Amino acid sequence: MSKVKRKGIRRSKGEQIFTVFNYAFFTVLCLIMLYPFWHVVMMSFSSVEATAKGGIFLWPKGFNLDTYEKVFRDPSIWTGYLTTIMVTIAGTVLGTLFTATTAYPLSKKRLPFGKLMSLLVLFTMLFSGGMIPGYLLMKDLRMIDNRWSLVLPGLISAYNVIIMKSNFQAIPDSLEESAKLDGANDVIIFWKIIMPLSKATIATIALFTAVGYWNDYFSSVLYINSKDKWALQAVLRYMLTNTNQAMQSAGVTVTAVSNVTAATIKAASIIVATVPILCVYPFVQKYFVKGVMIGGVKG
Amino acid sequence: MSWTKKRNRLSTEMWRNRWLYVLLIPGILFFAIFKYVPMAGLKIAFMDYNQYNPTASEWVGMEQFVKLFSKRSFFPVLRNTIVISLLKLIIGFPIPVILALMMNEMRNLKFKKISQTLLYLPHFISWVILSGIIMNLLDPDNGLITKFIEALTGETVMVLTSKKWFVPMLIVTDIYKGMGWGTILYFAAMSGIDPQLYEAAQIDGAGRWKQALHITLPSIVPTIVVAFIMNCGNILNAGFDQIFMLYSSHVYEVADIIDTYVYRMGIINNDYSFSTAAGMFKSVVALILVLLVNHIAKRTGNNGLF
Repeated sequence: MSKVKRKGIRRSKGEQIFTVFNYAFFTVLCLIMLYPFWHVVMMSFSSVEATAKGGIFLWPKGFNLDTYEKVFRDPSIWTGYLTTIMVTIAGTVLGTLFTATTAYPLSKKRLPFGKLMSLLVLFTMLFSGGMIPGYLLMKDLRMIDNRWSLVLPGLISAYNVIIMKSNFQAIPDSLEESAKLDGANDVIIFWKIIMPLSKATIATIALFTAVGYWNDYFSSVLYINSKDKWALQAVLRYMLTNTNQAMQSAGVTVTAVSNVTAATIKAASIIVATVPILCVYPFVQKYFVKGVMIGGVKG
Repeated sequence: MSWTKKRNRLSTEMWRNRWLYVLLIPGILFFAIFKYVPMAGLKIAFMDYNQYNPTASEWVGMEQFVKLFSKRSFFPVLRNTIVISLLKLIIGFPIPVILALMMNEMRNLKFKKISQTLLYLPHFISWVILSGIIMNLLDPDNGLITKFIEALTGETVMVLTSKKWFVPMLIVTDIYKGMGWGTILYFAAMSGIDPQLYEAAQIDGAGRWKQALHITLPSIVPTIVVAFIMNCGNILNAGFDQIFMLYSSHVYEVADIIDTYVYRMGIINNDYSFSTAAGMFKSVVALILVLLVNHIAKRTGNNGLF
């Protein structure tokens, strides 16, 4: 963002008040953004008795790690992690690659039927078969209860194809032409010249794809019957919405206090599922912003 | 040029680009199988789908749609969908604009960067996790917000099962998740403003308030208009994940939307044809709205999306 020096100008009283208010406002807003996460972290470290009494605000009460021990003893958290990691890696690698292989030919104006195919891709952004036809398709493909059903339906998004396409269109044709004179075909040009030049866009699209797969719970709900093949987010959803069964699988007997035990266990599970994102997020955030900027320019 | 000659030229052109078609194979297969086959699958909305023997399903014409519109339960669903997304639009839409304008006035770049990072964060957190946090804060026994409201009013409000408070909760949490990320569009637009405009304004003696009002705001108006119009085209998406994670039978009356209705009728009740008809009604209306809205955006001199 271009910066303009405005220091030389004398500031009016109103401007000074606004500046103070502005910083105060955003400080409070940032705390509001963070606090819900902080509260859950504190709860996950607190004892069951303290949680029952309530009043956990800034620090844990009756600090202990028992809850985490219980959560990590629950096999469904581990199987969930396994599925999510496998699906995220497979989906991101294949999805990003195929987004590029789809976008590159469509970025060439000379390609016969290219325009028609671009339109057909764009149309999938505006209209879809929806939930039930998608489900019946997976049934027909015999992919119900197979982890590939979590990977394949979301592999390529039309929006990413469009972003990638405008990236490829910005690369000068002269590079391609000189490689052609050396006898390279389009596949070699794509792989050896175009892809290395597009690293930034590829990174952005890979990150968006990865977040999509990491956060996906609904494909598991729709397509996977065996709970040991569920993705992490679906496991977490199950724990949050079916307290009693979930607690039993974590080795907690259902008693009068189990309601509160459940609250701390839920808190710890939420943290266990969120920590990886929180760790990676600050470092990759700028790529997300870049991605929107690229997408925003061309739309 | 004769027709055969034209065809010959086309086939040579296609042959010359054969490697590009090779690259397109996975993409074509993907869009054909996972996008266009389900679209063709919409035909079951005009059938009485037999899940044990699909080939024996009978064509019933518009019967499912007639059933949909004669069903008492569908109108509240349609109303909820529109009410929830309109409220989200009216209340939620201006907030990122205001935030972006305010943030643009920050001169401390480090502070600005940290604020942006924190404000964008919830966008990347799934509704599963956020709903877990929301359920925790609103827990009727020991939720922090429940206790807070109790201390303030002496009343125990069970927001998640209350017909009165559920929808406001949806709107507030939707704003929490999306307001930060929503500013990005406007920052992108602001980054294109010519700095000379500000310099000229300063020479004319314009203060920062005047600069924001007469330079920054007008420069992002086209973006605001396009974003607003596009949001209007999206009016039938009231936020499936959020509602699916948080609602319960206590609040169906106010919170059941088309998408959750489709899920319950289809996946839970196995009424595939009826549920597909409901989903198709939504997809078709949404398509018409988006095309209409895009047309309006272009007519008003803005760039449409396509």
